[in-house]
Formats: sequence, C-alpha cells, structure tokens
Amino acid sequence: MALVNECARVVSNEQLAAKLYLMRVESPEIARSILPGQFVHMKIAGMDDHILRRPFSVYARNAEEGTFDVLYQVVGTGSARMTDMAAGANCEFIGPIGTPWQPPTGTHRALVVGGGVGAAPVFMLCEHLLASDVDLTVVLGAATRDALVCKSRYEALLGHEPRCATDDGTYGRAGFCTSLVEEALEGANAAGQPYDYVAVCGPEPLMRIVARMAADANVHCQVSMERRMACGVGACLSCVVETVDGRRRSCVDGPVFDARKVVWA
Amino acid sequence: MTCNFQRKPRATSVRMSVNVGGLEMKNPVTVASGTFAAGREYHDFVDVSTLGAVTTKGVSLHGWEGNASPRIAETPSGMLNSIGLQNPGVAHLKEHDLPWLSQVGATVIANVSGHSFDEYVAVIEALEGAPVDAYEVNISCPNVDAGGMTIGTDPKSVEAVVSRCRAATKRPLIVKLTPNVTNIAEIAVAAEASGADAISLINTLLGMAIDAHTRKPLLARVVGGLSGPCVKPVALRLVWECSKAVRVPLIGMGGISTGTDAVEFMLAGATAVSVGTANFVNPAATIDVIDGIATYCEDNGVKDVTELIGALEC
Repeated sequence: MALVNECARVVSNEQLAAKLYLMRVESPEIARSILPGQFVHMKIAGMDDHILRRPFSVYARNAEEGTFDVLYQVVGTGSARMTDMAAGANCEFIGPIGTPWQPPTGTHRALVVGGGVGAAPVFMLCEHLLASDVDLTVVLGAATRDALVCKSRYEALLGHEPRCATDDGTYGRAGFCTSLVEEALEGANAAGQPYDYVAVCGPEPLMRIVARMAADANVHCQVSMERRMACGVGACLSCVVETVDGRRRSCVDGPVFDARKVVWA
Repeated sequence: MTCNFQRKPRATSVRMSVNVGGLEMKNPVTVASGTFAAGREYHDFVDVSTLGAVTTKGVSLHGWEGNASPRIAETPSGMLNSIGLQNPGVAHLKEHDLPWLSQVGATVIANVSGHSFDEYVAVIEALEGAPVDAYEVNISCPNVDAGGMTIGTDPKSVEAVVSRCRAATKRPLIVKLTPNVTNIAEIAVAAEASGADAISLINTLLGMAIDAHTRKPLLARVVGGLSGPCVKPVALRLVWECSKAVRVPLIGMGGISTGTDAVEFMLAGATAVSVGTANFVNPAATIDVIDGIATYCEDNGVKDVTELIGALEC
C-alpha cells in the first residue's frame, strides 16, 4: 500500500477527560485504506518552531464517510496546540504507516489489552476479530475512572463491559490491569480453552509484563512499540527498537512487533 | 481536500541543470545524506529520478549498529540527532539499493563513511563497479567516536583521507565538511588541494538538549547534531566563506525547506543544494524546492539557474 500525504480537515475535536481529547478528521484516502494497528504522521499547522510531525494511532475509521478518529493525550507542545484546532481546521497526515496487527491464521480466542491511551490502537483490531468470529476478551487499564474514555465504545462493540482496572481503584479492579490479564490467561487455560493470540498496547512496562505472561502461557503475543520519530517513513532511523534481530524501525518494521522479538529495556 | 501522490517537478523554461565537479545534475537539488535513506522510502511522494541526485545514507564497510535510543530530540525550529550512522554495510547497498536506484533512473551520490582511512578507501573500492555517479566522503558526522568529524576537523587528516580516496577512484569526489571548526576555509582548501572535485556543507552542528525536570539529557548519547531551519544562517555564512576560499563547486545545505532558501545558498556560492530535515516535515520538500527555484528564476528573468551561483551583491 502506497503512502500518501493527505491534506485533511478537522471534523470535531472534543475533550473527553483531563488531558484526553478525541479528534475526528476527514481524510478519505487514509480512512479507506488504513488497517488495524497502522498509524498516521501528523503535521500540525502553525508550528514553525516545532517542526517535526507527530505520530498517532488511529482509533477508529469510517471508510464511507472518509473520516478517522485519533485519541490523544496532552503531553507537550504539539498535543497542546492540537487542542486549539477547531472544526474546519486543516492538517496533514502521512499514512497509512507501519505493520498491522496480525492474529495468527485460525485464531479462535484472543485477549486484547489496552493501557491508558493504548486502548485506542487496539479498537480496530477488536472490530476485526469480532467480524472474524473470534472469541474476544478485552482488558482495559487506566489511571482513574474518568480516564477510561474508550470503555463505552468497547461496550457497544462487545455487547458487554470490557474488564477494567484503575490504578486508584475508582473503577473496576484496583491496581494495574496486569492482574486481570493474568486471571484471563489462567482461567482460559484452566477451562481447557486457551487463548491463541494476545495483543497489547500501552506503557512499555505494561507491554513487557503482558508479553512475559503470554510467553509463560505459550500464547503468541504482539505489542505496539512507540519511539521518538522524525520521518515516519523508514528513512531516518530515529525510532529504532532493540530486537533479537538487531535494531528495527518502529515506524515501518513496526509499530506492531512479535513480543518474543523485542529486547525490553 | 487534496491528496498528494508521487510528485515530479513542474515544467519550466529555465535551464535547471548544473555540473558539480563532473557530476551532471538535472537540477541543483539533492538530499542530505541520512535524511532520505536510499530514496525508496520517499518514492511514494517524490519520483526520485527527477531529483538532481539522490545522496544515499552513509555506508561503512561491514555495517554499524548506531547509537542507543533516544536518538532524536526536537529543538526550537530544528532537531538534534545522534543516530550514529547505523547502516547495514556496503554489500547491502550494492545488492538492494543501488540496483533499484539504477532501475528508476536516479542519479546517485553514495555517501561513504569509515572508522579509519582504510575503511573509506575500502568502501569506495567496493562501489567502483556499482551504478554510482559520485562519492561524498563523510568526514563530518558528529555522532561517531572514530572517523566522521574526528577526521574533518584537522587539515592534515583531511588531506590524508581525501588524497587516498582520490587515488581510489576517477569518479567525482565530493567531501562533506563539518561546521564544528574554527576556520572552515582551511579545511575546504585542504580538501581541494587533496583532489576533491566538490565540497558539500554543512553537516550538523554539535549540540545538546536537557530536560530540566528529570535533569537528564534528551539524547542517550548526550550530544548530537543540530539541523533544520535554525542552522540556516550558520550554514549560509560557512558556504559563503568556503566559496571565497576554493574554486571547486559547493553543495550547500542546512535548513533548506523552500526554493527561496535554496536560492540564498546559490547566491552565497553554492552550485547545488541539499534538502535534509525538511524531508521529515514535508515528504515532497525536494519537489517544492526545485519548483520554488524555477519560480524565482522565472520571476526574476533568470534563464539559467547557474546565473545564481555566487551572485550575492555585497
């Protein structure tokens, strides 16, 4: 799939919780072609003193309407600037970039884990798995109840509530969502119906722990790696990830990697 | 709403070709080594055969792993990088990249790196039979502990490596200089006297960035090379100084993102220019720069782009 640099238009941009925003953009070419797990590289207008693009996972897309959604957290100058972008504002996206999630052929049962804003990059994967009649378990983690901003979309998709954990115990299981992951893996094994695929996106410590749990349970696991990125197309070698095969670019050799290949920091 | 697919320069009546020390370029625009890989990554956005040349990522004899991450940091109107010349080695370039560049019809400048004088020569020797139009000898990378800038800051070592590379090839030999010196003119003179056909400048400016909250450097290597629009005034000054010191043509670079930027470098004395960090911001920046140079020439009655070289009035 060829990459494009698409001039896009903001459709809506709303705050969902403290520092968490949802932007919908009209970007028909990318909306039509993007696969679950791929990302876009955004040029924010009017940022002459902060020149680099920002990479964002795509949360959801509507191919017919030519739109996609980006869930973003305000962490620096670029994301702060994005909060000022009103409907109708112009921006540019390179996309669709990178490797998609690739559940093994014949996957029957899958466990999908999203920590923090990592809940967004696995949503399209969940849509794909359900459309393929995969028995799906979703675990979401967040710092606090209000930060579980993806929960309602997952409920609508699954027809039931995803398993949730909050660091401060204000919703669902108190503590990190890794305890829910461990229970799910053990429960499935005990029932004689083990998972055959685990996908996880979130803070690196979460991915590292889930990858270990999956390896211990002998389940194929994929992770989505994020690094500081410049070009976003595989040229500059800024975003490399340490793997057992050497340093690999998170932009085009990833962002989705086989968890067993990643050498964790 | 528009969607940009593979672009080419627009038609113009301006004569755009230049000759850089024996290297024929169909227009004065190439790319800064390390920002464009070997062109394939940008071919969705730009027909790379329409560029003056594709300058490939620095290549060493057997490949290097580069530096630890984080390797980049955004800085005001620019960025720092400490990639460290990660590359898979010259055999990989010959096997995978040069045949592709040849197939699409690109003009190719191969950027040559080494940890020792012998390695530079060995890389050139390995490339002599391959479809390469010119070499650019990288004696200016600030992100390696041996070779690179450690050679390019001393006129004697510049003479030593350039004369040995000169003896290894009859192809156009470009020497890329670092700005991290007191007197760049003496380095340029040393390169010219040792057989360089052209000089390219500038490589990145050594800098650093610190996170005050964590009290840690933003780069794992602590220091790195600064590039982007913020370095343009420094680069222009150094090109201008070199243009007065040597007769060989110059390839100017440092913060070029528009045709007007490129024209400024040509007025300062450059025969050709390279687009670097701007590729990361705008993947079709090279085409915008070529078209922008043509527009400037059309608007100012310039029939041949070479009329701009050194035409600064001061």
